[in-house]
Amino acid sequence: MGELIKRAIDTIKAEFNSYSTGVKIALGVMFFLTAGFVIFGIQILFWGLGYTDMSNLYPFGQWIIGDLGLVSLGGGAFTTGFALYIFRNDKLEPIINSTVLIGFLCYLFTFIFLVFDIGQPLRAWFGYTYPNWGEHLMPTSMLTEVIWCLTLYFMILCVEIVPVALKHKVLDAIPALHYVGHYLHRIMWILAAAGTFLSFFHQGSLGGGMWDIMYGKAVWFRAHHIYFFVVIIGATAGGTAFMTLCAYLAGKVMKKEVVPAETFHSIAKISGILFVAFFIARLVDVVLMATRWVPLFDRSYISLQGGLYGLWLLVLEFLLLAVVIVMLLPKKNREQEKRFLIGIIAGVAAITTDKLITVLNGSSVPNFPWRDYIWYWPTIQEWFIMLGGLSVMAMIYMWCAKYLPLFPHAEKHAHHEGKSQAVAE
Amino acid sequence: MAIDLDLCTGCGDCALACAQENNMPVFEDDSDLPKRVQFLDLMKVSNDRDAAYPDVEVCYIPKMCQQCEGNDPKNPKPPCVSVCPVVATDVGDDGIVSQIWSRCIGCRYCQASCPYEARAFNWWKPRYEGDFKKSLNPDVSVASRGTVVKCQFCSHIWKRERDRAVAGGELDINAVTYTPACVAACPTRAMVFGDLDDPGSELSRLLSREKKRTFRLIHTIDEMKEKDEKKWKAMMQAKNYPNPKVYYLTSKAWIKEMMKFK
Amino acid sequence: MKKIDRKDFLKIGGGAIVGGLSGYVFSGAPFLGMQWLIEWTQDQYVPAGGKEEYLKTICEACREKCEMSIRMIGDRAVKIETSNSGCPFSQNALQLLYHPERIDAPLKRVGRKGTVKFSAFEKVSWDEALGAVSKNMNKLIGEKRGHLIAGISKHDNLASALLDRLVKACGSTAAYYEPSLNSLSQAALGGSVEYDFNNADCILSFGARLLEGWGVPCSMNKAFIEWKKKGTRLIQADAVRTRTASLADQWLPIKPGTELILAMGIANRLSKRGRAAGGAEWMAVVEKYAPDKVAALTGLSVKQIEEVAETFSRARNPVAVAGRGGKGVSSSSAEFLAVHALNTMAGSQAAVLKKGQWLGEPVLSANAAASIKESKKLAGLDDFIKNGNFEIIIINEADPVYKSAYGAELAEKMDRAFVVSITPLLNDTAMYADYMFPSLTFLENDTSAGRAPLKPYLKSAHAGDCLISLAQKVDGVKASFPWASYVDLIKTSGASVGAGGVNYNARVLIDQLALIEKNLKPSDEFPLSMIPVELTFVGDGDGMAFPYALKTIDQKTFSQGKLCVEINRKTAGQHGVSEGERIDIASSWGEIGSVRTHLTDTVAPDTIAIPLGFGHMAYTKYAKNKGVNPKGIMAHDIDPLTGTANWWHTRVKIS
Repeated sequence: MGELIKRAIDTIKAEFNSYSTGVKIALGVMFFLTAGFVIFGIQILFWGLGYTDMSNLYPFGQWIIGDLGLVSLGGGAFTTGFALYIFRNDKLEPIINSTVLIGFLCYLFTFIFLVFDIGQPLRAWFGYTYPNWGEHLMPTSMLTEVIWCLTLYFMILCVEIVPVALKHKVLDAIPALHYVGHYLHRIMWILAAAGTFLSFFHQGSLGGGMWDIMYGKAVWFRAHHIYFFVVIIGATAGGTAFMTLCAYLAGKVMKKEVVPAETFHSIAKISGILFVAFFIARLVDVVLMATRWVPLFDRSYISLQGGLYGLWLLVLEFLLLAVVIVMLLPKKNREQEKRFLIGIIAGVAAITTDKLITVLNGSSVPNFPWRDYIWYWPTIQEWFIMLGGLSVMAMIYMWCAKYLPLFPHAEKHAHHEGKSQAVAE
Repeated sequence: MAIDLDLCTGCGDCALACAQENNMPVFEDDSDLPKRVQFLDLMKVSNDRDAAYPDVEVCYIPKMCQQCEGNDPKNPKPPCVSVCPVVATDVGDDGIVSQIWSRCIGCRYCQASCPYEARAFNWWKPRYEGDFKKSLNPDVSVASRGTVVKCQFCSHIWKRERDRAVAGGELDINAVTYTPACVAACPTRAMVFGDLDDPGSELSRLLSREKKRTFRLIHTIDEMKEKDEKKWKAMMQAKNYPNPKVYYLTSKAWIKEMMKFK
Repeated sequence: MKKIDRKDFLKIGGGAIVGGLSGYVFSGAPFLGMQWLIEWTQDQYVPAGGKEEYLKTICEACREKCEMSIRMIGDRAVKIETSNSGCPFSQNALQLLYHPERIDAPLKRVGRKGTVKFSAFEKVSWDEALGAVSKNMNKLIGEKRGHLIAGISKHDNLASALLDRLVKACGSTAAYYEPSLNSLSQAALGGSVEYDFNNADCILSFGARLLEGWGVPCSMNKAFIEWKKKGTRLIQADAVRTRTASLADQWLPIKPGTELILAMGIANRLSKRGRAAGGAEWMAVVEKYAPDKVAALTGLSVKQIEEVAETFSRARNPVAVAGRGGKGVSSSSAEFLAVHALNTMAGSQAAVLKKGQWLGEPVLSANAAASIKESKKLAGLDDFIKNGNFEIIIINEADPVYKSAYGAELAEKMDRAFVVSITPLLNDTAMYADYMFPSLTFLENDTSAGRAPLKPYLKSAHAGDCLISLAQKVDGVKASFPWASYVDLIKTSGASVGAGGVNYNARVLIDQLALIEKNLKPSDEFPLSMIPVELTFVGDGDGMAFPYALKTIDQKTFSQGKLCVEINRKTAGQHGVSEGERIDIASSWGEIGSVRTHLTDTVAPDTIAIPLGFGHMAYTKYAKNKGVNPKGIMAHDIDPLTGTANWWHTRVKIS
């Protein structure tokens, strides 16, 4: 036993020492956050949500933002899959494995954050056994719909990720597994189509429907059939930007060309176009809110934009959206590395800000005229669980990038040029 | 239910009686307002937003679950019921929005959707230390940590009264009336509880008599009905309104004015 | 028969496992297991059932004698329902009855004084505790130093009368009462005022927050219904728009602390109509308070004052009410006198002076008679704390360390003395006790009508029983305590009778007026006025031990450990204070720190309203260390008649 532990420690040490100093520091920080994640996770699960800064007046906090953000950004997986397998945009082939993995991780951690967020994690399965379906099997609660769609899509992602995992050199050597992997890969378009179908629903439901059906709240209520799609467009736009960003960062860390430039340009173009659509959709949404929906409550839209998380977030979102469009849409901009990078980062930031507005501003708006805006500042437990979770995600991604054929292009590349660059840095 | 704010002295007996009747959880610090659990909140409201000294006034508004029904009384849809992913909350035939505490998974979606902040979440484990346990009411189950709880107009008392009536030979159990703990505790009879569907009930008669003084918490759509019925109808079609079943009465204009956001 | 080979064996084994598993899953057992796991991890408590019954009883806590019914499940009391439950006393009773920190046996101190930990005490038997206390008392009496025995009571009731008698029988006059509406008016007027609010038609309240815990809350609530029915006019003078001021028909927004001056102004107007009271010397002072002077001092207009005087004098049965505050009352003796003079001037039949007839004089032993000559009778509790001397002190339900402006001095003196405290909960005063006797809630008290509805809690006993059995062990006192038990005593006690004439002391009036006018002068050092406000149930501190009462505290007063004081918006602007800011408040008597501001125009300009009842050092974990107690920095001027610090109005500065 002691021998085993010693070997495991040695392996981790060797792994750690194989990276450059910058990555070492990043890994150190991530390990620290992960340790916090474990410690505070136990505290939250065993002693309750009292340790968060959420309250009866502010029931949704940072983890919900994490869920929304992760699902939305993980939405890049279905968009890319759809573009590759259904639209046959073969330029995207080199990035697809990476997107599937990120999608998988995003959804996995959505579930993990959700388990922390609900007060009774042990009753989480009630969502399957007592679903709130209404008439004609239309989900009454958007959360029921989200639970089911998320689960089904997560299963699809699991199947999608199997061929990638099977390509690991140990597993690939087993003939049976090799064939399973191969044939699974062949039917991937069916999964992509099913995934897109499901994703459409839960992206719209979690990001949009969940909020716009709360007709008692001026800050959230709006027409379901509009906001639902606004959010889907947002997820496709932000998701593709996020997939690109992850692959780009992986390339930087590994110091090699993981994905050919034309793949980046192709996906950036798709992202740019989708961001234009989202910009317009969001603008329409804000205008409709201000002119049609909020006045129904006898309130004004601008009066909902006060407090700590007020108007500045809304302005920031539109600024970021403008930056994305300028950086990604014109060909000469997106083909220049720096502007391309600014573009995709702004894209991810814009979608994150959108989720921040939904939750932070939405929850802080006073319900009674004699109340003030509520201040919410996450506690150390919330920060550690959030950031620790993201760290675990990043570390799994790093490990996969190194040991799984996440980037077939890079491997082919290395194979052709001999061993000089093959050792992953 | 109707609450006459002209008669309410803000003594808070309703809140205490409610806590005692409904086994309110005792946390380490119950003065921690954002996290404490209570069904009935005494809200201190003053018009110092609109007026300056010495024209200001204050009043206390007891606020419990407003038992919303939405626009359609035949198909009641309170904001909180439709959002629950596990059907832990529902509207009964009696019009009371119920909540099954042992079904709740604690997602707090209903809390987020409630415009009246009527629902509370057990952020901590309820601590009934020592002999506090002895004063717990067996008719109300003790909620565990991590669930949402809410006022149900003491419907367990109704069950108690009906059981008692049945034991006494009464056949029509729907005719049995009861009084929630808060109403029973009100020393100035400011709270009136009854059947809104029965035009002969004390409550219905009071509300039809006192139309001028009646208002509902931050439910300004009522005013539109008086001003412009056509527009009111259009608005009711454009959007579902909570339509609470708790009415407040006041002769003071400033209280109604404070129900509006400015 | 075919031989079972390895393959078949695996097949059968696998089949059995698959079948067993699917059977297990489809039986629903895993879900039940999950449910069990949930219950186990959540430790859900299920209240025990039992036979339901309703005990009918009468609450004898006050003279209203409310009928009440107690819902019992088995031997547990789960709810109190009353026909008139306007009384927080009855609603909180179950929380006191079953309080987790209730003292369940006599305690003897083994640790340091001034600590709140239960480990500083050890449980002893009643006999042992009474023996130790009486031994100490006997020693003093034997040395003819019985005058160094003192007693402090809270309520004006039979048990307190027993303590008075015991102290006196020991040879001391040092039996004092915590300042309350009753004790203050008795000291100032020579009797307590019984108001007939139901039949008055115009009520003029001088800062008495009638509907916020003042007097007997259930009587006040009953009266309120009557006022609404009859259209009785309520005129409220106060510097804060309180609940009572809002429910009143007219609010007189006076400057803080000027109630007495307003009373003088109205008396002045009444005297112009030929009404008089208090004698020539008194009326001479009244003459000096013409409406324009009063208007300038109180901040009201001349017209307002004249109108109120007019309404008051025209009313058929008007009544003026003194005693500023809710549960905690602070008015100077001059104010009680001046307001009572108004009632006399207006010929009110709704305010009658009554005096309690309790037990009469005890028989003094030779030693006691010798020491009582040494005993110095002081005017009141604060006077006693400041100037008095004691070696043994018995505290009957009171909490003067917390409630008195001289609390810190008392604590210091108690540190050196032998202290006995009769209380159900370990309060700030009991922190200094050498012996503690657990007393009962009214649910466990035997009443004149019969047995108590509930059995006494563990080893608790009524304060009266406790004092009677103590007296049996004290030398030379036994003869004055012929009763076998407290119930025995109840049956023999008398009712209250009318009090004699009021002594209108013009000297005191002149002094008090001068002090107020001095306080009103703008001062550079202390530019602001501080006055107290109270919260529902918290009152002046008694409610803080009850978690359900804590649930009623509103956000703008106390939340998450932050106590807020209310400041007028304009004033806050002048002093550069913003909403929610942390400030320190200092007066010439001291400084309190770390309170937050809440800007609201419900408070008069240049005024801070600070909530009472917070900042306990002990009094159970629910009350401990929450907010700050302002009494220490409130005015310490001792009133010559009531012997109590008039803490209502204090000049302060903020920083």
